[in-house]
Amino acid sequence: MARVQLSDLRKSFGQVQVIKGLDLDIADGEFVVFVGPSGCGKSTTLRIIAGLEDATSGAIRLDGRDVTRTRPADRGIAMVFQSYALFPHMTVADNIGFGLQLQKQDRALISRRVAEVAETLHLTPLLTRYPRELSGGQRQRVAIGRAIIRNPRVFLFDEPLSNLDAALRVQMRLEIARLHQGLGATMVYVTHDQVEAMTLADRIVVFNDGRIEQVGSPMDLYEHPENRFVAGFIGAPAMNFLPVRVLGTQLEVPGMATIPVPPGKEAATELGIRPEHLHVVDGLSADLSGEVELIERLGAETYAYVRVPGLPLDLTVRLPGETALRARSSIALKIDWTRAKWFNASGRVL
Amino acid sequence: MEQHNRFWRVVLLAAPLGVFGIFVLWPLFSSFYYSLTDWNGFDPNYSFVGFDNFAKIASDRLFLQAAINTAIWMVAAIVLPTTLGLALALLLDSRVLGARVFKSIFYLPICLSAVIVGQIWIWIYQADWGLLNTIITEVTGEKYKYAWLAKPDTALWSVIVAWSWQQTGLAMVIYLAGLTAIPGDLLEVCEIEGATPWQRFRRVVLPLLAPSTVVVVALSVINSLKGFDILYIMTGGGPFNSSDTLAMHMYNESFKKYLMGYGAAISVVLFLIAMAIIGLYFRQLRKVDRIYG
Repeated sequence: MARVQLSDLRKSFGQVQVIKGLDLDIADGEFVVFVGPSGCGKSTTLRIIAGLEDATSGAIRLDGRDVTRTRPADRGIAMVFQSYALFPHMTVADNIGFGLQLQKQDRALISRRVAEVAETLHLTPLLTRYPRELSGGQRQRVAIGRAIIRNPRVFLFDEPLSNLDAALRVQMRLEIARLHQGLGATMVYVTHDQVEAMTLADRIVVFNDGRIEQVGSPMDLYEHPENRFVAGFIGAPAMNFLPVRVLGTQLEVPGMATIPVPPGKEAATELGIRPEHLHVVDGLSADLSGEVELIERLGAETYAYVRVPGLPLDLTVRLPGETALRARSSIALKIDWTRAKWFNASGRVL
Repeated sequence: MEQHNRFWRVVLLAAPLGVFGIFVLWPLFSSFYYSLTDWNGFDPNYSFVGFDNFAKIASDRLFLQAAINTAIWMVAAIVLPTTLGLALALLLDSRVLGARVFKSIFYLPICLSAVIVGQIWIWIYQADWGLLNTIITEVTGEKYKYAWLAKPDTALWSVIVAWSWQQTGLAMVIYLAGLTAIPGDLLEVCEIEGATPWQRFRRVVLPLLAPSTVVVVALSVINSLKGFDILYIMTGGGPFNSSDTLAMHMYNESFKKYLMGYGAAISVVLFLIAMAIIGLYFRQLRKVDRIYG
């Protein structure tokens, strides 16, 4: 198990700088998830930690030891790839035992360790099969098996579940969480799926354009985003953003009656409200009113997309599953002002 | 509509089947037939001799010599181009300066006909003024000058070298395609797990090239079985039958000695050998198919 520290990490491909100075301290045994949109540098950062890419500048330390120029094999890390990266010509047992075989470990020891790992991952009946004879979930378990057999100090996961179907993804997510609890190892996990990020992480690192936007626990990021990007990225469905204009002591929101500017929000240019912080009310106490464009029923909950005259985008409203609301019906909404987020022109939270 | 489709299906299939029948099946079965006769190739009167020709094969010293030469020829003509092609592909797949130019240069000989390749190498091996002996003379003096194609101990191997020179490019191109198809993350796993370059080659790259190897070996087998023209041009099977292969021997018996029935019997044996090799090839193919799909 190990502590991972990144300091002023930078990476350029030719003239293009993709990692623009990262500082991050991952505690021993912590489960950290990197999230961000495509091309934000999260996978590149993971590959730099693995040693598969060289950092242009900056340092990586594992338990205080500088490993920036150390070969991947000597870093004591293991990596699970999105594509599983299993050797098609080796059986499950050989794939799992690959690392130990390379180290020319004793055959009996390898068999014993493979059997133990297979037992942990419920792979024992599949040990003699070839990868192409396995399902996606089984393949991913083999890839995880190959990672855990060497007792690495740090596990790196590069979008490991994105090739699996939805049901299997939930199941594998639980298995990875269980694995983390069992091994207590430091894990760094890259995903663009924020449900994975929210459910697995001790801490989430939100990446954008080669920089870290914010680091925090899932609920911390959800409740207290530092900027508009994090507020918009964390949470599904995403936060609603309403443009606002401060006119003296009054605040103007399109589609709404003007209100007094809340204290400290004089520089606000945008208002952020999560879908669950919009409540359906009768017309009199409403802040906003409009027409339901579309209803998405998910069973336990329902999402209503509401068109409000004057607003550039539809508002998303989270409702109970059994709501009687239909498309094209009128709707009146009240904002939970205590939960609203205010952003200034540069996107910082006020 | 269905009737119309059926008509065209029959017409379109009949043409290639007709060609196949006339140029492959008919000669094949004719060979089987003539192998049981004493036909000389011209005389309409010939007699049915049963398995006499095959019995003669068993006691034919030249046939045995040709069979041994064929075995040497096939093994060398498979192993050499395959190994050299793989080595060149590995070399050129890494970022060697001018890799593209070298790829084209090494591939060039395969574009030449065997007759031209043969003629080029006859000049290279020429005893008095050939390139090889000129170089040897320059380096060592007259001591190691040799009549490469005119001596029984070197004739066959000299042709094998010329053949390998031509065939290596093909193996190289197929292996280069195979190397490109190896997923990068499998090689990254090797890096993370700490494989040495040799372990990576032996345990990952080479097995992953198995589908390419199957193709390369199949082409080499087929080409080497057909490898008659280059031998005919360079040595004609000589000297003293030292580079005589079964195909060469069959040709000589049939068209030089006019023993068409005996030549046909040799061709039947060659056919059976080819079938056995192809059978082995298909077995291997199924195994590769199970793993790589």
